[in-house]
Amino acid sequence: MKALGCLLLLVVPGGLAAQHVAIGPQVVFGDYREVSSDLHYRGGGIGAKATLEWKKFSADIALSKVKYKPTSSVIGTQFDASEVDVRLHYYISGPVSAELGFINRKADPEFEAQSVGAVTAGAQMAYLLGPGVRMALHGGLMFGAKYSGGGTTSGLGALQLGLGLTVDALHGRVRVTGDYGFQRFSRTTNDGSGPLRAPIQQSLGRIGFAISF
Amino acid sequence: MNARVVLVAVMALGGVATLRAQTIQNPTLRRAQQAFDNLDYRQALSAGQAALRERLTGFERARAYELLGFTYSGMDSILKAVDAFKQVVLLEPERTLDPNRTSPKALSAFQVALTQVLVVRQLVVDSVTFVGGQGVVPLRYTVTQPARVVTRVVGGSTSLRIDSTVANGQVNLRWPARLPNGDPVPAGNYTIVVDATVGQNSFSTSQPIRVSHGSVDTLAHLTSLPGYTYLPETEVPPKSWRPMGLALVYTGIALAGTSALSNGDLGSASLREGGTIGAGIVLAGFIMTLKKPAPQPARGNILYNQLLRDQITRRNAEIAQENTRRRQQVALTVAALPRSSR
Repeated sequence: MKALGCLLLLVVPGGLAAQHVAIGPQVVFGDYREVSSDLHYRGGGIGAKATLEWKKFSADIALSKVKYKPTSSVIGTQFDASEVDVRLHYYISGPVSAELGFINRKADPEFEAQSVGAVTAGAQMAYLLGPGVRMALHGGLMFGAKYSGGGTTSGLGALQLGLGLTVDALHGRVRVTGDYGFQRFSRTTNDGSGPLRAPIQQSLGRIGFAISF
Repeated sequence: MNARVVLVAVMALGGVATLRAQTIQNPTLRRAQQAFDNLDYRQALSAGQAALRERLTGFERARAYELLGFTYSGMDSILKAVDAFKQVVLLEPERTLDPNRTSPKALSAFQVALTQVLVVRQLVVDSVTFVGGQGVVPLRYTVTQPARVVTRVVGGSTSLRIDSTVANGQVNLRWPARLPNGDPVPAGNYTIVVDATVGQNSFSTSQPIRVSHGSVDTLAHLTSLPGYTYLPETEVPPKSWRPMGLALVYTGIALAGTSALSNGDLGSASLREGGTIGAGIVLAGFIMTLKKPAPQPARGNILYNQLLRDQITRRNAEIAQENTRRRQQVALTVAALPRSSR
């Protein structure tokens, strides 16, 4: 993850001068579940998204802070989830791009929910619906997931899926953005009494706009 | 009005002067002509011969011999008629008889006379304009007897032999109007001289010509090829439900994937977030389906236009080369001038 961060630091500034950059705020709303259907949270918050394009490369960097509140008044207390989602794309052919990135989500208070970090790898399919209207579907696996409360995930146990829409407005100077991201970690823990399933699942919707440079 | 009267008067005076030069003034010869018109051949013969002993102009002398020729023909003295016509031909080599107004006997005697006298007749130089080195000046003349005929062009310090041949009858020549080194003949006045020789007999005739130089017209550059027009490089594709379909497919995959990948221990998956964004995508796809499609590049037309542009560029390059060559060329105009009167 650190290596990926270093790579971003090296690649992104070079592309800023020459290629397209869009950055803007987003409204975020999400659904978070952990361990069982009883630990179910919903909430909203704010976020920001930056998109960079340079030759065959592009990068999406999304930051969000969601205040999750339990749907049940009996179990759980509200917490803030701060998430960084970085995805690098390399255009391959047709609508297909390869995707590599990482996510890092921190819960505050720390013990109300699991903080998690993982490297993501997958593919993205993008399609131009019309002039200035693009949609993208992406999915992949998340490797090396680390949890603040411990636990492990099998190789195919952490998955993500996403959907995105970008609509250019004002001759492309402004973009209306909408993103959906789904994450599922099939986490297992073992406190000595044997493996216990403690899955984590989040659906996140983001709607906003971005200024293009 | 006055100017018109003056013009008519001048033309009438000119005509009279011409007529006087071309009409018979000698009274003896006029008497002979009158006798011939009255079919009094003996009187015509004696008066004509008497006229020849008098002082006559060239025209009158030729008319006197011609009158004798006609008279001898009428009297069936063909040999004498031929002799008289030979004198006519020698005096006026260009003389011809109108077959519609001349008796066959006289005509045949004239033709026989032509074959017995060496003359070069009907030298004609056609007026032409051509690019130096790429055209010729047509010349033609008629030799009445088999003879060595040398055709030359003379003018200033230039004397060029155009042709040397043994010929009889009509001869057609093509003169390229070039100097021996290949350069075009300099502008100026020249004379085409035709010398015919048979033994001791020789005859020479000439035709003045004027050679003038001009610049050769250059070709205009092309902006389009005749018959070929540029095609539009973009075309609007027909309306399609593809955007709507793809939006539904993408959204369906995302929502179905969410449901499928959702962990069963956590209850049914939330489709609120995916549904919101998916609805936006489907709406965008629907709008894009209704919207007039954006013009798409027409690859075939682009290639066709590129070919057309390449062709025009290539043709213009050729035209530029051709124009460079033409600016170094000269347009020759050769015009026959009126012959000076004998």
